[in-house]
Amino acid sequence: MDVVAVDISGRHAEGDRYIMVSASVESRISPEGIERARGMRLVPLVARSVDMEVVIGLIEESVSGLSGVVIAERGDLYNLARWRVESILGREFKYPESRGERRAMELAHHASFAGRRLALRLMDEGLDFGAGSEAAGGI
Amino acid sequence: MTKEKTAVLLFREDPKEELRPEEVAELRGLAEAAGYRVLAEVSQRRGRDRRFQLGRGKIAEAASYEPEKLIFNEPLSPGQIFNINKEFLLQPMDRFNLILEIFASRASTREAILQVELARLSYEAPFVKTMESLKKLSERPGYRGSGRYDVSMYRDITGRMAKIRAELRGVEETGERRRKRRKEQGFDLVALAGYTNAGKSTLFNRLAQEAVAAIDQPFTTLSPTTRAVAAGERRFLLTDTVGFIDDLPLFLIKAFRSTLAEIVEADLVLLVVDLSDPPKLLRERVASCHEALWDCGCYAPIISVLNKVDRIDPEVALERSDLIRDLAPNPVFISAREGHGIEVLFDMIAEKLPPQEEFVIRLPSSEAGMGQLSRLYEVAEPIKVKYGEEIEVLLRGRREIVAKALKGAGRTLMDPEPPAEG
Repeated sequence: MDVVAVDISGRHAEGDRYIMVSASVESRISPEGIERARGMRLVPLVARSVDMEVVIGLIEESVSGLSGVVIAERGDLYNLARWRVESILGREFKYPESRGERRAMELAHHASFAGRRLALRLMDEGLDFGAGSEAAGGI
Repeated sequence: MTKEKTAVLLFREDPKEELRPEEVAELRGLAEAAGYRVLAEVSQRRGRDRRFQLGRGKIAEAASYEPEKLIFNEPLSPGQIFNINKEFLLQPMDRFNLILEIFASRASTREAILQVELARLSYEAPFVKTMESLKKLSERPGYRGSGRYDVSMYRDITGRMAKIRAELRGVEETGERRRKRRKEQGFDLVALAGYTNAGKSTLFNRLAQEAVAAIDQPFTTLSPTTRAVAAGERRFLLTDTVGFIDDLPLFLIKAFRSTLAEIVEADLVLLVVDLSDPPKLLRERVASCHEALWDCGCYAPIISVLNKVDRIDPEVALERSDLIRDLAPNPVFISAREGHGIEVLFDMIAEKLPPQEEFVIRLPSSEAGMGQLSRLYEVAEPIKVKYGEEIEVLLRGRREIVAKALKGAGRTLMDPEPPAEG
């Protein structure tokens, strides 16, 4: 089964803003684990809030161009029912169930966490992610 | 004659989601397994009541049956237990407490008894703390009569938990040593896992030709049982384990860590699935098994044993296996009770176990060489031994285990030489 596991790191306020990085990992999985990781996309976003609109916008941007069923942790999508997420995203979606899907989520989690640390370092060095984040509801 | 235990089951239906009959049946099954006669089932569609979980009227209705216990499907907070007990003078319990009661009644080994006690204390500690603070509202320290202070009961519990943990660590270390020795001796470890009452013990009996207790009720097995089994030319150790259940609380998983270690350290897991479950429930149960395997850190390959095919039509069995295709790797249809599909399962086990290879090893013809040969006999299957200036052994075994047995001997493993003609 082809899946795109997506995870957002940084959903906690840093002052008056949220510095988030969404990682999407496109992979082929079996019920037992990952067979092949095909691609990865990291999208940074600096936003004023983490409401549903911002989160969905970030996920949409993050999974674009990657093929497969989108999977994400329940908490990232405020425990919304699967059919509602599918309607909003306009793509096939599910919450992780099998060991393979959980493994893919773990990979996405590591990627987003590392991506955020990199983003923070780059911001310390003066790089501005804010300008490009406007379209996705960011600053 | 012992007094019969009676209970009324109470369910809270979420306003957005209907109560499923399987959920009712599962709680009823658990209550019956704990020895309760169910007098009635009471349900109410509403949001959670802060004081009583359900409405006061519904609890009064349940109390009118005069049961010994009120069993709630939803988890109860310490405050709710206190309020129900005070208001209706009845003992309330939730699903987790019921599971603990079953575990307590079935625990037979020292390890299982300690695990159950630890789980019970972990569950009860926050309740006791709340009870104490609630009682303190109207009483002063020393209310236990013998001058003991209010914090002492909570301290007793945490102290006992620390003692049990220390004792369990000893048991775990023994288990670890045993598994390590088994691995070093070249045994392949195969563990049975699956939802409670999926038929793991029946399959264990069928594969090992044993007679462990296999009864149509949840949580028949609490302590792991291991037996040697042969699948063709491969011999392996098969372990029967405790079953999983939906929403297995973390404290229970932690308490049964040493039992679940049998699954974690297995070379192969047989995930037993009851294919006669209704489709939606079937999927949910397999998913909760995956969750439990993930939580306990099991990364071994899985064979999905689709059990109880004798209870459904073959077309239905195929439909249901298709429904869980993304959750059930390497599926094998069997009926553990009737013995259908066991040969196919044995073939699959032999195929999925870590591969064995053939090696030719040359050892010095000395006392040290004979010692090494003796070690090799313990961990691998010797095919041919030739004594001469050197001892030449052709044997079959797992590469890493043979390598470990020869560690320090200064000998390298060699791939098999082609067998001599004739």
